Amino acid sequence: MSLRQRLVPYWLLGPGLLWLIVFFVVPMYFMGELALRSGSLTTGFTFTWEWSNLPASLSGHTEQIVRSFYYAGAATVLALLIAYPLAYAIAFRAGRFKLLLLFAVIAPFFTTYLIRTIAWKTILSDSSPLVGVLQTLTLVPPDGRVLATSGAVIAGLTYNFLPFMILPLYANLERLDLRLIEAAKDLYSSSRQAFLKVTLPLTMPGIVAGVLLTFIPAFGDYINAQLLGGTQQAMVGNVIQSLYLTQRDYPEAAALSFLMMALILAVVTVYIRFAGTGAFMGGKDEGTTDG
Amino acid sequence: MVDSKSPGGPPMAAAARGWAWLRRNALPIYAGFAVAYMLVPIVVIAVFSFGDTPRDKLTFGLNDGFTLEYWRTAFSIPELNDALFTSLRLAALSTAISTAIGTLMAIALVRHRFRGRRAANLLIVIPMATPEVVIGASLLSMFIYSSFALGFSTLLIAHVMFSISFVVVVVRSRLIGFDRNLEEAAADLGATPLATFRTVTLPLLAPGIVAAALLAFALSIDDFVISNFSSGTTVTFPLYVYGVSLRGIPVQVNALATMLFAVTVIAISLVLIQQRRAERMAAVRPEAIRPEAAAARAT
Amino acid sequence: MGARGTRARGASLTIAAAIAAVALALGLAACGDDTVGGGGNGEVTTAEAGNVTGNLTVSNWPGYIDPGENGTVAEFEDETGVNVDYIEDINDNEAFFGKLQPQLEQGQSGGRSIFVLTDWMAKQMYDLGYLQEIDHDDLPAVFENLAPTLRGPSFDPERKFSVPWQSGMTGIWVDTAKAPEIRSVNDLFDPRYKGKVTMLTEMRDTVPLVMKAAGVDPEEATNQDWFDAIDKIKSAADSGQIRRFPGNDYIVDLTAGNVVAAIGWSGDASLIENDNAEWRMPTQGCMLWSDNMVIPVGAPNTAAALGWMDFVYQPEVAADITEKVTYVSPVDGVRDLLANRDPQLAKDQLIFPTEEFQRNCSTQDSPPDIEPVNEAWQSVITG
Repeated sequence: MSLRQRLVPYWLLGPGLLWLIVFFVVPMYFMGELALRSGSLTTGFTFTWEWSNLPASLSGHTEQIVRSFYYAGAATVLALLIAYPLAYAIAFRAGRFKLLLLFAVIAPFFTTYLIRTIAWKTILSDSSPLVGVLQTLTLVPPDGRVLATSGAVIAGLTYNFLPFMILPLYANLERLDLRLIEAAKDLYSSSRQAFLKVTLPLTMPGIVAGVLLTFIPAFGDYINAQLLGGTQQAMVGNVIQSLYLTQRDYPEAAALSFLMMALILAVVTVYIRFAGTGAFMGGKDEGTTDG
Repeated sequence: MVDSKSPGGPPMAAAARGWAWLRRNALPIYAGFAVAYMLVPIVVIAVFSFGDTPRDKLTFGLNDGFTLEYWRTAFSIPELNDALFTSLRLAALSTAISTAIGTLMAIALVRHRFRGRRAANLLIVIPMATPEVVIGASLLSMFIYSSFALGFSTLLIAHVMFSISFVVVVVRSRLIGFDRNLEEAAADLGATPLATFRTVTLPLLAPGIVAAALLAFALSIDDFVISNFSSGTTVTFPLYVYGVSLRGIPVQVNALATMLFAVTVIAISLVLIQQRRAERMAAVRPEAIRPEAAAARAT
Repeated sequence: MGARGTRARGASLTIAAAIAAVALALGLAACGDDTVGGGGNGEVTTAEAGNVTGNLTVSNWPGYIDPGENGTVAEFEDETGVNVDYIEDINDNEAFFGKLQPQLEQGQSGGRSIFVLTDWMAKQMYDLGYLQEIDHDDLPAVFENLAPTLRGPSFDPERKFSVPWQSGMTGIWVDTAKAPEIRSVNDLFDPRYKGKVTMLTEMRDTVPLVMKAAGVDPEEATNQDWFDAIDKIKSAADSGQIRRFPGNDYIVDLTAGNVVAAIGWSGDASLIENDNAEWRMPTQGCMLWSDNMVIPVGAPNTAAALGWMDFVYQPEVAADITEKVTYVSPVDGVRDLLANRDPQLAKDQLIFPTEEFQRNCSTQDSPPDIEPVNEAWQSVITG
């Protein structure tokens, strides 16, 4: 392989990496340094290698962290259940309206997160017809409500992060060679088995990408908990927001953020090992040849 | 209840047929429900944009009445117009930049083995795992220390930054398992690397790139937290909406949101029609190439 | 590999080095000042007066003026030729401060010449050295027309750095069709209204009101009194009595009929589209506050900023603002003007409260020792 060829990946990566380094890593360095400072806003924060900020930032917030895992996890599972059949139907059943349908599905997400969430707040309000129906069906107790509950926050997260699930799934499914499924059907004779043994494994990269793209931002979200939740629904994003903007305990906010990022990375790594694909991080990639 | 095997009377047969039909069409029906679910908020927003009803109250009573007032005056709030225009410009630019940069990165990561690949991968994942408020706050510190003037350019920098990772992940999931034989076939047939990229790789990657671009656009036009820190005195659509949403959204916002939705769908349909025409002319559709690729492999 | 491999590695090292250099340069720039926060350099400047021309950027809360074609901003532009960028980007004192603090620390105002902030936040910014002082001689209309009751507030006894924009009261909004009997803050803890009550995230509104309902005077309260009130609110939140802690958006739940009562601000009647909603003076009294115009350090064109302040203190202009925003105007003479224009408005106790009406009210203030109390409060609202 020639030198020119060897340099190709660096040229391809260059602009993006440079952008991420200058506008992400460097600012993060400020944050990392901030996480080890001590003091208060009035006296000023001075750098003292304050490692105790890390455990201190966790104390009292474990409930919100556990809750974030639960909400983001539930929302991811729901989003997968909604998105997979939808992406499948769009990719294989929509014919020439394929892309149009995809766009129609994604277009609501161009109307701004806040407006959508507020619309949901209206739809789920205590006196709305929908909640009345749910009460009649005894899915909600007669004096109960949907808003300001965990259910509302999970529903909001599911809705708002759906495109993050649909798009990678679609991009993956669309590439699927239908002849493989036909061959599988010939061999396995049951479409259920064909799906489990062929379609599902082949779409695993899309599923992994979708799950991560949904789970990660949902975990750090705070708008849904703020608008759709009540007094017992705060997530770790709300805590960081409050630490940074309201309590102005910058070191603790930075420390908690770093712990949260580490936690997510750990979960992501475990998940990728478990899912057994290199679709996301630097694992073994299929289809890579060195030529 | 429904026993499809029993040779019962006509009602039973009808039920069985119904059941069979349902089974056959379960997927489209389910997908239909999913699409409806995704459109529910849009419908509510659209209804409210015509309603002469109190905002935030879901009543469709007859005495509330409908009005076109808010559509007539949709563009009568200058701040809202400015904010919307700023957001559209910002989203278009940041989508273009981040999609281009991100696609190149995805290609490098999937197609090439090189030193530092793992680190590059990590660098791409971490921004997604970072709380928005932290990204926003840290970027702001950097902008201030290096005396960047806050405004449209800092917004663009920030939006490109947080979109890149998402673009890479989406394009990547399409690239993995990509049939390299097609490209080799093109090369064997005498195409230059650039021509191969343009006529084979790019069209095959297109759905992934389009999906990534859509995501980048949605991310940009939605962003509130990071924009709030890096905007200076520039007001984007979400920043405007956030402020007014707390005190009662002017109904014009609903009209504009509905318009935004409709225009997106129409514009994209037009682009698709155009693209389909172009595709037909270029005849580089994968179905057309595949047999040749197989032939190339055989020789 | 061999030589070629080495060269490839060399190239990647070059790229890495270039990146590191950029990072280092930026990093060094950051290390210039080794403390973060701690306030300005101690010198307090006075806003400079001069010709009222050029550009002016004002940050205010949403819905606090008529920004339209015939509104107050346009009128000022017509009269002076100043080009005003009026932005409604203050939704929360804390969040706005959090966003601007790093810039103010560097002596920059983010391009803005005027902020509008609640009393305690104005004081906090002044103490950190983020605000400029104001010479009364530069503001003749302000100090001619400023209501006597607002001339010497405890947070700024000589009005050295703040000029009131609007004042208001914090009390209880009640849906009279659903809970006509709610009159005291204590009623909000009645199990009959479980899950149908909200309280503001603004600590200095909610906690003192609960304190007052328990018979404690917030102006004399100790830290322990604050903690006791916060504990009471916490157990109500844990039991589901309190539905949520909203900010500016408490009106949304009230309009939608999700709550029967909410702690809220007196001037919001026009925003709450619920005919049964009524602001009530709590039996044990309300909280009083003002939002103030202040000039931050590094503000461009302070002359136009002073011109703006003086402009909105002309009774005619102030009357227009009052008509639009329905809060308590700090400008004397507005009532007489409105008595002709709109007699109904001039009789409204929420816009022109009498001393008798406000007799049990307390002025909003911070707890004696802010940090631990704030921390306790934040842990309640991010439950």
